[in-house]
Amino acid sequence: MGEAGSTEFRLPDLGEGLADAEIVRWMVAPGDSVTLNQIICEVETAKALVELPSPVVGVVAKLRVSEGETVTVGTAIITFEGADVPAMVEMPPETPDASIDARTEAPDDEGRSSMLVGYGPGDGDSRTGARKRRHAQRQRAVPVEQPAVSATVAAKPPVRRLAKERGLELSNLTGTGANGVITRADVEAASAPTATSSTPSRDGHDETRVPISGLRKRTAAAMVSSAFTAPHVTEFVTVDVTPTVELVEKLRAHPAFSGRKVTPLLIVSKALLFALERHPELGSRWDEAAQEIVTRREVNLGIAVATPRGLMVPNVKDAAGLTLVELAEALSGLTERARDGKTELSEFSGGTITITNIGGFGIDTGTPIINPGEAGILCVGAIRRQPWEYRDEIALRSVLTLSLSFDHRLVDGFEGSGFLADVARVLADPTELIALG
Amino acid sequence: MSIATAQQLDTADTVTLLTEHGGDLREDDLFSPYLADIDDAELCRIYEDLVVVRRIDAEATALQRQGELALWAPLLGQEAAQVGSARGIRPGDFVFGSYREHAVAYLRGVDPTLILRFWRGSTHSGWNPYDINMTTPAIVIGSQMLQAVGYAMGIMRDAKRDDSIHDIAVTYFGDGATSQGGFSEALGFAASSHAPVVFFCQNNQYAISAPVGIQTSVPIVQRASGFGMRGIRVDGNDVLAVLAVTRYAAERARSGDGPTLIEAVTYRMGPHTTSDDPTRYRDADELALWKTRDPIDRLLRTLEYRGLATDEMLAAVDAKADAVAAEVRKGCLETVEPRPESIFDHVYSEPHSLIEEERAEFLDYHRGGAE
Amino acid sequence: MAKALNAGLRRSLDDDDRVMLMGEDIGRLGGVFRVTDQLQAEFGADRVVDTPLAESGIIGTAIGLAMRGYRPVCEIQFDGFIYPAFDQIVSQLAKIHTRTEGAVTVPLTIRVPYGGGIGAVEHHSESPEAYFAHTAGLRVVTCSNPDDAFGMIQQAIRSDDPVLFFEPKRRYWDRADVDLDAAPTVGLYDARVVIAGSDLTVVAYGPMVATALAAAKEAASEGTSIEVIDLRSLSPIDFDTIDRSVAKTGRLVVVHEASVFLGIGAEIAARISERCFFQLEAPVLRVGGYATPYPPSKVEQYYLPDVDRVLDAIDRSLAVE
Ligand SMILES: Cc1ncc(C[n+]2csc(CCOP(=O)(O)OP(=O)(O)O)c2C)c(N)n1
Ligand SMILES: [Mg+2]
Repeated sequence: MGEAGSTEFRLPDLGEGLADAEIVRWMVAPGDSVTLNQIICEVETAKALVELPSPVVGVVAKLRVSEGETVTVGTAIITFEGADVPAMVEMPPETPDASIDARTEAPDDEGRSSMLVGYGPGDGDSRTGARKRRHAQRQRAVPVEQPAVSATVAAKPPVRRLAKERGLELSNLTGTGANGVITRADVEAASAPTATSSTPSRDGHDETRVPISGLRKRTAAAMVSSAFTAPHVTEFVTVDVTPTVELVEKLRAHPAFSGRKVTPLLIVSKALLFALERHPELGSRWDEAAQEIVTRREVNLGIAVATPRGLMVPNVKDAAGLTLVELAEALSGLTERARDGKTELSEFSGGTITITNIGGFGIDTGTPIINPGEAGILCVGAIRRQPWEYRDEIALRSVLTLSLSFDHRLVDGFEGSGFLADVARVLADPTELIALG
Repeated sequence: MSIATAQQLDTADTVTLLTEHGGDLREDDLFSPYLADIDDAELCRIYEDLVVVRRIDAEATALQRQGELALWAPLLGQEAAQVGSARGIRPGDFVFGSYREHAVAYLRGVDPTLILRFWRGSTHSGWNPYDINMTTPAIVIGSQMLQAVGYAMGIMRDAKRDDSIHDIAVTYFGDGATSQGGFSEALGFAASSHAPVVFFCQNNQYAISAPVGIQTSVPIVQRASGFGMRGIRVDGNDVLAVLAVTRYAAERARSGDGPTLIEAVTYRMGPHTTSDDPTRYRDADELALWKTRDPIDRLLRTLEYRGLATDEMLAAVDAKADAVAAEVRKGCLETVEPRPESIFDHVYSEPHSLIEEERAEFLDYHRGGAE
Repeated sequence: MAKALNAGLRRSLDDDDRVMLMGEDIGRLGGVFRVTDQLQAEFGADRVVDTPLAESGIIGTAIGLAMRGYRPVCEIQFDGFIYPAFDQIVSQLAKIHTRTEGAVTVPLTIRVPYGGGIGAVEHHSESPEAYFAHTAGLRVVTCSNPDDAFGMIQQAIRSDDPVLFFEPKRRYWDRADVDLDAAPTVGLYDARVVIAGSDLTVVAYGPMVATALAAAKEAASEGTSIEVIDLRSLSPIDFDTIDRSVAKTGRLVVVHEASVFLGIGAEIAARISERCFFQLEAPVLRVGGYATPYPPSKVEQYYLPDVDRVLDAIDRSLAVE
């Protein structure tokens, strides 16, 4: 209730959303007694000139706005004293125990005062303050609010895609997000070594069962599809690579390569790129849908890497455009990231041709299966010191067996053989790289 | 297009019973009998009604200027048209009003505080239409006339089964509303179905700024004949003529003689609403002319002629008006505002999943997500 | 903004003598929002016409005038009063060009003050834009500030298609210096990035742009960077601009006054889910009116989106891991 003290009268919105009005003329002065509805002033809005009647019986204490001044809706324009009329009643809303306490919703200082009705846009926005409370609530409460999650696996699209790229089945993952949502971090973590379970088999034998999932499943699918769509031809060559081994030693000592990892694989890669330039068919792709053979200018060199999670084939982008130092860097980065499970999604796509290095396992050679979408794969065996014909005599040399599988749809025996021979030629004498490269 | 000027009161074919400059009532063969029961005491009560509704109107305008109402549509100048017609129908009749019929609502028993609740922005209605057989404000111009005809068609059906039923429907609308398709459709439906409905047009000369000549080039009453319907033009500032004409039209409807269009020629002496500035579109002269036809003064002159306008009577009427005005102000200031979540109430009469969902979200949000 | 629209209309009347204005109370009164103030005095009652009180009549006759070579600009006094003209707009205006296999164009502009927040009585606070955007054959645009109001109204009048031009009435009295000599720098149907940001995109239009900007400002003070897009055109919708933004931020909140159920936000959410599925870090959220009739003005602040509700949606979006 308005106290019999001083009462302010604020400029109301006089017509459906007006923001302000000009006080044209005061009809009362401080000290004047006013009766209810006595005209106290004339104001001009964007729509009309109107008279304002006093809302109280009382005495004018102060005119707070001068004539000619334009004030916004809600501004106190006059103060009355001894006002004894309940002019500015603020009533609580219906049923005070209602679920929302509208009084706590009272707008902040800059908001509308609830005395004025039809009050217009004012500064444009009222505030209920509800968000502040909910925001605070959210900060305190764990877990944070998430969209409703059903019994099926929950993960947002970018995370789903990441999982797919990693060959992970979401249903096998445990979500650590609110309400069991699988997060990006969960997918990353799942790329780490998986524990196998050792349980007695159904028929009593002690065997280990690991669900076929994840990378294994994906690799399997890729291999099956490659083996059964691309007619594979595999050729072998055994070559004395002692000059390559010597070159590797020299490079290791070279300041340009200090701190860098130099392995025979680096020279094999370089040899492959050298050969590919002469036999681009090995870098082409069979587009079944379009019935076209596609050859890309850029060579993305795939390296098959054995990781704790299984086989992965990331590739070095535009390998042909790299210097030897850059290539060394790229190769070591690639394998490290793959082993740490940090390979970027983009590194898996768009491969041109692949090298698989099985020498590290002490194996001499094999018949590799082409990475799907490519035309060839070069398999590098172990380099062994063994007796070898050297300058018409028997000597201990560093000998390596290479095998090349190629897609016979894309590559004929002539080109395949030429390619493999070129690789062998360079490894037998890296001088070729400089002489012909 | 030329700018039409306000139609002047054409007395030739307009029913008037109060003489312009005082004196006793004019006799009319058809309509005077409808005033047979109006004795001196009743005349004073009619006068009181006129003064009280004007006082309510003035208080509401002041409350709007004080920020207590969002808007107000003053009835100043139209008291006779509203009081006369409201007094000419029965409580059982159903009124489909427009938005300016505060006097009709008041006389049908609505607490004026409830009328103000609508204009304050506290509700879309204000009262239960079935409590007083009158709809709450119809803001969309031209929407209510067809509904009145339908209601009357319903009465007609009921009356076939129960011959004690003699209710009618009455619809109020302005001169501007006659341009809406709904008006012509309503006249057509009413005439062809013979529905017991009275169309009561308050031609107050303006639709906001548009003089009535923009809506029509013939008197509105003439629309009736084209539809094969009775039409009567009445001096809308003559409360007794309006009363008589309304009683006549209501009786026709009640006795199965079909619908009637009444055009009450009056004048909106105030702005269209408190947001309006009439000085932008009409002359002071015109207003001055119509002030000489003020509906309260018109009746007062007859009261004076009959010696009824004693100081005592006039003081009592003013006191009553002041008391009602004080009630209205108090009621308005004490308005209990709707609960915020009431916005979800009564959207449907049966549960609706979307509303329930949004209501729950709304409550959760405003409680700060504590749930 | 009302004055900017007035200036835009004056310019259009000046530029092309086939342009004419029609509506209730637009002549002598200058319109209930004074948008057509003085235009009848300047251009005469033949070009700025006070019509009878009938919206269906206004649009129906305007169609005829347009077929006769005029370019009528019709004012519907308030959003809630457009429905008597709904049939003429949806069944006729929208379809005539297709019906006549392109022989007839109907260059009509329909100005509609819309939206709430002005403390008005029933039918004066509605946001009916989605009905029209849903109707093939109509273009629907809305301005959010005086500058756009001035440029866009002229562009709309120049369009040979029917254009519904929605004016945010609660921003009518917003003030800004408008350069009357500047040509519009963007097309009528282009959205505009009002402020750039990186964490989340807020799309708004008409009256809600100012609200979105206020929310962005508050979010910035909390360290969140919001990109605000003023949609400007609701049919067609400039999805490319939204796309580009969402590709960057991964999160989208759409704000409008109209009920969210089957509103403009629903269409944006659907399209962006299609176009940016793998870039979305959180579901597209909508902030808008509820599925209820517009409430009495005493509680309209609870119905209308405000800065708090926009911020709350931003919070909810960012909470999705
Ligand atoms: C369909 C529709 N169009 C426009 C309006 C805006 N409007 C409100 S009152 C009015 C004029 C009404 O004039 P009239 O019918 O003569 O009634 P009065 O106000 O004179 O009582 C207008 C155009 C409305 N309420 N409804
Ligand atoms: Mg009128």
